[in-house]
Amino acid sequence: MSELQTIADIPKENLLSGGTAACPGCGSITGLKMALLIMGKDTVVVNSSGCMTLLCNYPRTPLRVPWIHNAIENAPSTASGIIRAAKRLGKKLNVLCYCGDGATYDIGLQALSAAIARNEDFVYICYNNGSFGNTGDQWSTATPLFANTTTTPVGRKSRGNTLSRKDMAKIIGAHGCYSATASLAYPLDYLRKVKKAKEIKGPAYIELLAHCPTDWHFDSGQGMKISRLAVQTGVWPLYEVVDGVLYLQSDKTRPVEDFLKTQGRFKHLTKRETAAIQAEVDKEWDMYKTGEYWKTDEY
Amino acid sequence: MENLITGNEAAAWGARLSRVECIPNFPITPQTEIIETLAQWIADGDMDADFWTLESEHSVLSAAIGSEATGARTFTATSSQGLVLMHEVMYIASGMRLPFVMATVSRGLSAPITLWSDHNDFLANLNTGWLMFHAQNNQEILDSIIMAYRIAEDNKVLLPAMVNMDGYVLSYTKEPVEFPAQAKVDKFLGKYRPKHAFFDAKNPLVQGPAVLLPHDYTYFRYQHDTAARNALSVTRKACEAFRKQFGREYGLLESYKCDDAKTILVTQGSISTTAKAAVNAMRKKGKKVGLLRLRLIRPWPAKDVARELANAEHVAVLDKNVAPGQGGIMSPHVKAALFEYGAKPIVTSFIMGLGGNPESVGMFEEAVRLAEKDKRGGVLWLE
Repeated sequence: MSELQTIADIPKENLLSGGTAACPGCGSITGLKMALLIMGKDTVVVNSSGCMTLLCNYPRTPLRVPWIHNAIENAPSTASGIIRAAKRLGKKLNVLCYCGDGATYDIGLQALSAAIARNEDFVYICYNNGSFGNTGDQWSTATPLFANTTTTPVGRKSRGNTLSRKDMAKIIGAHGCYSATASLAYPLDYLRKVKKAKEIKGPAYIELLAHCPTDWHFDSGQGMKISRLAVQTGVWPLYEVVDGVLYLQSDKTRPVEDFLKTQGRFKHLTKRETAAIQAEVDKEWDMYKTGEYWKTDEY
Repeated sequence: MENLITGNEAAAWGARLSRVECIPNFPITPQTEIIETLAQWIADGDMDADFWTLESEHSVLSAAIGSEATGARTFTATSSQGLVLMHEVMYIASGMRLPFVMATVSRGLSAPITLWSDHNDFLANLNTGWLMFHAQNNQEILDSIIMAYRIAEDNKVLLPAMVNMDGYVLSYTKEPVEFPAQAKVDKFLGKYRPKHAFFDAKNPLVQGPAVLLPHDYTYFRYQHDTAARNALSVTRKACEAFRKQFGREYGLLESYKCDDAKTILVTQGSISTTAKAAVNAMRKKGKKVGLLRLRLIRPWPAKDVARELANAEHVAVLDKNVAPGQGGIMSPHVKAALFEYGAKPIVTSFIMGLGGNPESVGMFEEAVRLAEKDKRGGVLWLE
């Protein structure tokens, strides 16, 4: 494979056809389509219950690779069975787990952590749209602060989700395996990470911000712009964790308001709340800049 | 030649002789000795299989689905809380039509927590679409695992199978067990190379799709039900082939002195051997008592059960389990079988042996005495 210097270097063989059940402007399906360009034909996709499960809607599939859907919380465990059986039977297969944030952050974290600890040879991409999207936008631990979801609704006595999200890419990175964040607005960066993950013998994790017009409430043509703003405002920093060291790859050049104001899920925010989100992001970035995330000699 | 081994070792031998290729696992009392035995054999090079411990039974069964769906013969084992934690994935394994075998070692369910045996864990799976066998002794555990692979992998069936033994009473008790010769088992089972479960880039396959049209969904469920029903005749044939190959006789159920019996005890699992001793003792006193041991629990051989019981006046179903508010789990099955058959002995449901409460010959004599006094078919607790 070439080194993915320009878009012209991206493999052309499309393994996911159009006409799927995904919403118009869905970031998750774009992320899968792009990942498969790199993962290639010898790939089994292991899916956990979520939006993407509806791709393989009997009797049709848009995929030109094998696919298995087991349940919501067990894609990494299912993958481990495939990996071991394939090796035993002499089959050369790449295993790609493609799972949502609810499946990854919440109900499936136990299975994912254990599979990584067992050093299973798979690529795990979490398509993160910040909620249980397929059931209609319910709060997950990936939901950003103050977001309006259907289980953290804004009301006369509520300002939406009052909790900060977990940072899963760091949690996975702390296992000692390759872990990275990616954005669809930076396709070459994303695909380079997929390529790196594929080539690693052992587990590799990528967390893809998957813009979601349905749950974030924006015009379906604006997804890429919003995904770019997420990176530029520092809400979604791009980084890789390699051997426990975090390498920051993006810069924070705009106020978070530029990202927040593009989406209906944040339209209720007061100036104070916007400032609180800005302060949270700034604090996070201070820690990146000083390298404090990975210092162990002081507390 | 006979070997003195525990029920757990017998289960491990069943897996080893079946040449299983993948063994995802997780420890739980009283099953753990099965996976420890397999681990040691693999560590010593006596057995060649992939053995990996996951972080929960839910993940164990998920991994078993993965390996079996890739085309490798898979085995695992569990008990009690582990088995009920698997519950969600039980349906997925059978719905995907993946014919692997799981040894289950019965133990009562929490709360309150117990270590000892009863059948509430095993029987929680009646509607999961698995084949369910219940062994009465260690020889039958080993033999049933081998037979279960043959039945499960039959093209007319293609369903996962559970082989159950009672915790402690069998799992940790040594009994003489004859090992079938490996060459004969190889001939009996053949290699597992499925036509419906594999991963191949040249021939991409979807396993576990969404089926959103109710008509299609019903079609899948109908096929599943048909496959389970097919397992009745496939099991009969497998038992016959097993008898020819290995000389030991098994059936869908075991009928013991039922022919002229006025009262018949219905049991499953290890209590059956004590119950048979009770039948012998009562026969000596001139009482016409028989025993029907349920061996194949799913698919449910209703006609076979009814035929054996049809001429009795009283039937005592001894459930080593309880469905609170209802009674024993198996007694309604027996009643329904008799009703469909048009036979009307009085069926008394007994709850006994919960949390390892030991059975005795006297207890079965008491059950017969109470059953024969019963005019309406009630639920009674035996201590």
